[in-house]
Amino acid sequence: MLALLFILFAALAVGCALAVVAQRNPLYSAISLIGVFISLACLYVMLAAPFIAAVQVIVYAGAIMVLVVFVIMLLNVEHEDSRRTRVGFLLPAALVLAAVLIAEVAFILVSVDKASFPSSSSSDIGSTASIGSQLFTTYLLPFEITSILLLMAIVGAMTLARRARELSPNARVIPGAQLLAANIIDPSKALDDTTAIETDTVAEAAHLLGITSPRDPSKRD
Amino acid sequence: MDWQLILDVVMKLVAITVVFIVVLFVVAYTVLAERRILGFIQGRLGPNRVGYGGVLQPFADLLKFILKEDIVPDKSTRFIYFLAPVIATMAALMTMIVYPFGPETTIPFINKTIPLVVARFDVGLLYVLGITSIGVYGIALAGWSSNNKYSLMGGLRSSAQMISYELALGMSLIGVLLLSGTLDLAAIVGLQSRWHGSSWFIFAQPLGFIIYLIAAIAETNRVPFDLPEAETELVAGFHTEYSAMKFALFFLAEYINMFTVSMLATTLFLGGWNVPFADALFGRGTFLFGLISVLGFLAKVIFFLFLYIWLRATLPRFRFDQLMSFGWKFLLPAAILNILLTATLIVVGVYGYFGY
Repeated sequence: MLALLFILFAALAVGCALAVVAQRNPLYSAISLIGVFISLACLYVMLAAPFIAAVQVIVYAGAIMVLVVFVIMLLNVEHEDSRRTRVGFLLPAALVLAAVLIAEVAFILVSVDKASFPSSSSSDIGSTASIGSQLFTTYLLPFEITSILLLMAIVGAMTLARRARELSPNARVIPGAQLLAANIIDPSKALDDTTAIETDTVAEAAHLLGITSPRDPSKRD
Repeated sequence: MDWQLILDVVMKLVAITVVFIVVLFVVAYTVLAERRILGFIQGRLGPNRVGYGGVLQPFADLLKFILKEDIVPDKSTRFIYFLAPVIATMAALMTMIVYPFGPETTIPFINKTIPLVVARFDVGLLYVLGITSIGVYGIALAGWSSNNKYSLMGGLRSSAQMISYELALGMSLIGVLLLSGTLDLAAIVGLQSRWHGSSWFIFAQPLGFIIYLIAAIAETNRVPFDLPEAETELVAGFHTEYSAMKFALFFLAEYINMFTVSMLATTLFLGGWNVPFADALFGRGTFLFGLISVLGFLAKVIFFLFLYIWLRATLPRFRFDQLMSFGWKFLLPAAILNILLTATLIVVGVYGYFGY
């Protein structure tokens, strides 16, 4: 029963992983990658690690891949034609890495003593409580370092997203907002004056800024 | 073969089928209730012709969905266009199995005590959150594969909205987790059976409950957060190009999601199947107690469904920038504040004093 399920999910994972590489459409690759993550989550459940499985689905399949799909949809990249030209040096590198991986697997299969592992049914290694207590006692330092690393990544993303030179401090950035920058409404304004003007029409914004409207408000369509 | 194993598998299959059918019936009649209640609030009648007072309207709707022509846009991405409604419906249905809708009950005639939950496992709550986060692909891919600007806008909006509100939703539940110390939904409900089944977590977590309620409405793309299908701006949003049964699947998914988040709110905040003082009247473990508990659970869920319909009839839609700034600048900080507050109160011992 368990062996059958393992073969099913392992085959799904390998098949989806092959599809990630083989697909030409980036969105198909992304969907295949989601398939890989979900199959891996199923394998984690079978290894008595339900917490890892749930986190795998929430973080990778639910958050990161949504962003990837989001970006692919936004950029609308359909085909990548120039793949053949770049593949030249990648092929030998891939072969070497694959050989290393196969050697590793062979080493584990041949020389690691299987009897020393606890059976999956008797241990509580994968349970939520044991992961939590281990994370905050034995592995506290790596945990804290990782969180600081993530904090740095967030701050870095923020500084990259709002560059101080182009945005004045009072400018607001709200994703998807219908905001107009002052330099869009009035060309005579300084180029770095991107004070946000929140209005419904350009004429209204011009009125608010005390400048002449590029269009006659009475002839507005 | 081991007969006990086969019996267990058969029992699980029966349980899944029963839950599936009940969910479909509840969804069908939620749609009818929504149309009738909207009609009542807006001073008109609503559908009341098919059957007595319109009780057969859901079946008439289903027949219409089946018989309609299924139009596929010419330049759509075929495979994903077919896959999207399947993902949406499947992700919505998969969460149904972890909710405990009643206590352990002895069934009369066969005299077997069974827990009234399809599957109980250690990380039930995380499972729900994980599957819910998969559901966004249904909408996003539907929007992309339709090859329609309105659909794409709807899909993009829904991805952005669901990612943003998922954070607040998850954070608002952490207060309950801190109090209960487990992710197992059945255990969380069990903790709320003290004080004769009235130690509901809503009394300990009022702020968390309100944040969860708002974020849950946004997660299900309902009014006032129905930006992905804002019909005044986007025709019908992500399902503009969908017709017949494929549209029905999206419709189904939306209402199942409503049902799911209502069940989660009931389970975590309103005591699940706990009916106050039912154990004093009937005694735990009896069949009557089980029946009252299941009915109590359904009543609480129906209250939330009614709340959804009521909100739809009364509130106008958000603008997209308002939606985003509300989610990130108000709801998320409020959820973090709730976590800090709860942790502080636990350490100080206030919750312990009140018996949580």
